[in-house]
Amino acid sequence: MFTLVIGGSASGKSDYAERHVLSLGGDGPRIYIATMEPFGEEAQARIARHHAMRRDRGFETIECYRNAGAVRLPENSNVLLEDLGNLAANELFGAELPQADNGAELPQKQGSTEPPQAEKQDGTEAQDGAEQHTDDISAALSERIAAEVDSLRSQCSHLTIVTNEVFSGGKEYEGETLTYLRLLAMLNRKLAAGADLVVEVVCGLPDILKGAQTQ
Amino acid sequence: MIFVTGPLFAGKQEYIMEALGWAEADFEAFAVRDVQDLAAELTAEQLPALADTLAEKKVVIATEVGGGVVPVDPAERQRREAAGRLACLLAERADTVIRVCCGLPRFLKGEEDLKGEETFKEHD
Repeated sequence: MFTLVIGGSASGKSDYAERHVLSLGGDGPRIYIATMEPFGEEAQARIARHHAMRRDRGFETIECYRNAGAVRLPENSNVLLEDLGNLAANELFGAELPQADNGAELPQKQGSTEPPQAEKQDGTEAQDGAEQHTDDISAALSERIAAEVDSLRSQCSHLTIVTNEVFSGGKEYEGETLTYLRLLAMLNRKLAAGADLVVEVVCGLPDILKGAQTQ
Repeated sequence: MIFVTGPLFAGKQEYIMEALGWAEADFEAFAVRDVQDLAAELTAEQLPALADTLAEKKVVIATEVGGGVVPVDPAERQRREAAGRLACLLAERADTVIRVCCGLPRFLKGEEDLKGEETFKEHD
């Protein structure tokens, strides 16, 4: 089963997603794919605490900041990836970081992909050259990340992905932020189209956008 | 009138065009999008007249813009306020209100069956 859980900051989406994963049962191991990079001592301490908490709930944690396609999952596993917003940001902005290599390859990857679908996917508003360029980046990168998610899906029994609702605050952003928003929105739509269950969590309560809830 | 709202880049236009079986020409003839921008420079008193005019369209699309932190700049604050108020006025006038999130529709008002609307197609 493939589930997409979306919600704003502190909406209760993580908690919902975790309970959903536990409700799926099965014999396979529970895997948590963590996408937040441990920058600084505070983050490291928080991550260590979360590791311990999830271990108590029977999750093994795999760190994956980018290149999700390289992750190898045990058979029959029940997987929770949190969150897509971080993964997309790491892929888009992570080029200068020592661990990153794929960000720098982005222009070549763009050239090798099919023509971008951005205009068709979200309206036909007039776009200047710069805006079209960021559309290309978002479209190419969303194709690649979606393919990597497909690879994860094919390796496990259940995949649940937590993603972020960050799209209701207007569009008065600097260029790069808008590129990021386009990227995450395209990913959300692509993954939602292929998901068995799509849930928006509001105030900790699930609103089922697609499929039927299991818990 | 069908009022479609939802977050930025959520696939609102793509969804409604597919649901109604519309081509680009149908959309241009019978729909209007980004109406939050039309509200930007209007006062609260001017908004109902705009909503009345827009309600003559078959489909009206707005992007939700009121979800972030309240802007410090008074002009931005005013634009955001006007967008929200216009959306409420449009929802009142609409037969159907749909919120699209991740490309998926959620019906907030009216019948989920849009098939009857297909008669609006330009080439019919």
